Amino acid sequence: MKKAFLTLLVIACCASAFAQENKKKLSRLPEVDIQTLDGAVFNTKDIANDGKPVIVSLWATWCKPCIAELLAIADEYEDWVEETGVKLYAISIDDSKTSARVAPFVKGRGWEYTVLLDVNSDFKRAMNVNDVPYMCILNGEGEIVWQHTSYAPGAEEEVYEIIKSLSIK
Amino acid sequence: MRKTYILTAVLLSLSLFSAVVLRAQHQIGNGRISGDFGFNGMYYIPDSTIGAEKVDSKVRANAFINILYSNGGFSAGARYEYYQFPLIDLEKTGYQGQGVKYFFADYKNSFIQVTAGNYYEQFGNGLTLRAYEDRQLGVDNSLLGARVKVTPYKGIYLKGVWGVERRNFDSYIGRRDFVRGADAEVSFGEIFPAMQEKGFLARIGGNFVSRYEKSEDDLIFSLYPNTDSTVSALIPANKFPSNVAAWAARMSFGYKDFRIDGEYARKINDPNISNNFIYKPGSALFLSATYAMKGFGVAASFIRADNMEFRSQRMEKSNSLLYVNCIPAINRQYSYQLIGKYSYASQPNSQIGVQLQVNYQIPKKSVLGGKYGTDLTFNYSRFHSIEKNPVAEAVANGTPIGTDGYTSPFFKFGPDLLYQDIGLEISHRFNNKNWKWILAYNYITYNLEILQGHEGMMRGHLVSSDLSYKITNKHALRLEAQHLYTKDDDGSSVYAMLEYSFSPNWFVSVGDEFNYGNPLKEHKTHYYNISCAYVWNTTRVALNFGKTKEGILCVGGVCRAVPASFGAGLSVTTSF
Repeated sequence: MKKAFLTLLVIACCASAFAQENKKKLSRLPEVDIQTLDGAVFNTKDIANDGKPVIVSLWATWCKPCIAELLAIADEYEDWVEETGVKLYAISIDDSKTSARVAPFVKGRGWEYTVLLDVNSDFKRAMNVNDVPYMCILNGEGEIVWQHTSYAPGAEEEVYEIIKSLSIK
Repeated sequence: MRKTYILTAVLLSLSLFSAVVLRAQHQIGNGRISGDFGFNGMYYIPDSTIGAEKVDSKVRANAFINILYSNGGFSAGARYEYYQFPLIDLEKTGYQGQGVKYFFADYKNSFIQVTAGNYYEQFGNGLTLRAYEDRQLGVDNSLLGARVKVTPYKGIYLKGVWGVERRNFDSYIGRRDFVRGADAEVSFGEIFPAMQEKGFLARIGGNFVSRYEKSEDDLIFSLYPNTDSTVSALIPANKFPSNVAAWAARMSFGYKDFRIDGEYARKINDPNISNNFIYKPGSALFLSATYAMKGFGVAASFIRADNMEFRSQRMEKSNSLLYVNCIPAINRQYSYQLIGKYSYASQPNSQIGVQLQVNYQIPKKSVLGGKYGTDLTFNYSRFHSIEKNPVAEAVANGTPIGTDGYTSPFFKFGPDLLYQDIGLEISHRFNNKNWKWILAYNYITYNLEILQGHEGMMRGHLVSSDLSYKITNKHALRLEAQHLYTKDDDGSSVYAMLEYSFSPNWFVSVGDEFNYGNPLKEHKTHYYNISCAYVWNTTRVALNFGKTKEGILCVGGVCRAVPASFGAGLSVTTSF
């Protein structure tokens, strides 16, 4: 029992020690092989948008708030693209049970996002994501400037403000 | 007792500590440290009206922390888990203990990737090998060993794995079983870019997996078990195959918006506790066809699995442990409160079924579509057991044990209906786009006897409605209402939940489920819940208080029992 607490404490202390290290450099996306809708291998280091902002969303066809979030953005997406040049990568964590239905699901809803498949949650793990929906925004240099988990209606406004400020810079 | 309070206090302060301190990015030279943390705690109150038993320690909690270091192509990580006094539903699955049961080091460049330690992996659709985790279910069957992935040429992918499968918090020391396998995939579209440009897709792949487990015990069993006879027989230890091989071949072809995928797998004789120790080989076939264009999508799938339960140890019978493969449950998965306990669980030893889903968007700016369009989703799925005709020897012996078991016509649906779902979902945004409404109807048939072990079938009509209203840019209300009408099992229920969110940080909800149709008067109970969550970037802290109905939690066709409970809970998750 005591041993367990000690281990936990030691781990937490180590981690907090690292937290004291400098925070200047912003982090980038990890390099993980996932798939395109065609099943071709896609490395997440290739997530980019010619110096313009990128939104990365982790979602699943069985996750209701994820769909609500992507649906809310879909209504505005055309305007966002026109104004800021933003590109949204919707990375589905559906596994082999449901991944075949991702393409009909996305196209059936007329979403214009770039959709990728993370069928064994490798990218989700590398990003340390606990639960979906998860969203992050990359600036033109590919650095993560904002991240968020879960979705409340209206949260897309904050996303819009951030990508707008990024595209002005 | 005091111990558990101390434990909770420590875990709580740690969780807050990590939420506050371990934020931002942590750079050491060119390397980077990141991680995530999760804590789930609950204070249990006994409640005889819902069957919530008195638990031996009222305060329970489980927590984990993942630490990941990455530097260029190199990464290493470990997870510490504290599940010594876990929440009672995890305790029932045996997921109890503490320690570092997941750690790895990995190096990767454009040609090769080498992993040592624990890893998760999947070959094809997972019919022969799938090592994965699902924390909600308490499933973690990572392999401890080594893995190599090689890309000799763009479009050609090779993988090799060797490892011992994780079994909860048990020690790996002394384990005599292991899994090894190799997988190859060729993607013609990547080799010949001209093909891809014309819209053609062609991929083929195959794999071979072998499980090793030496048998040291003879199996003694009785013949004619249903009679007074006392004749017994035996399978000597050396007649159990130490090496059980499985292989699979798969392909995907597509042209523009049309695509078909297929995988066929076979497993050689593998007498084990789940298949009555028969020597019949197993097989599985998974086919899917999809067509998608803007505003319209259709996906049809077929699955057949026959004697395909494949585990690291032939005597393992727990619901979630030591699976080498994963036969997918391909039905549509719902998150409706009232039918959670009627989710289909995949039957790797005997299932044949189809699934069809159609998505259609009534165009924007049309009469029915409104300004923003209306999305329709139709779903149909039906699963049966396969037909089994006992072989002569099994009939003569009065037991299938030790024989070839049965024969089964390949494409014939067996006599037992396991699950059926017919559903339609309408998702509409009103012209005043602050209002959104999702309305759905499902007719569900669920075989209680085979899927849950108690008699009968559940046939139920479910109507559910999810209405959300954005009051201002940041404030929103959401009302969820459901009605399950059924004469079977626990009878009809209603459910309503109101959620208020203040974007992006606060969520508050109150909900109640009332099992008004329960045949037993004393079980016509209310299951209320109050919850409040605060979200700050990647940190989520949630408090809840209320009652949980005894039921089944299923994630992707894998299910576990959820005991009835009453109490207050706290959960914290964060990543840093």
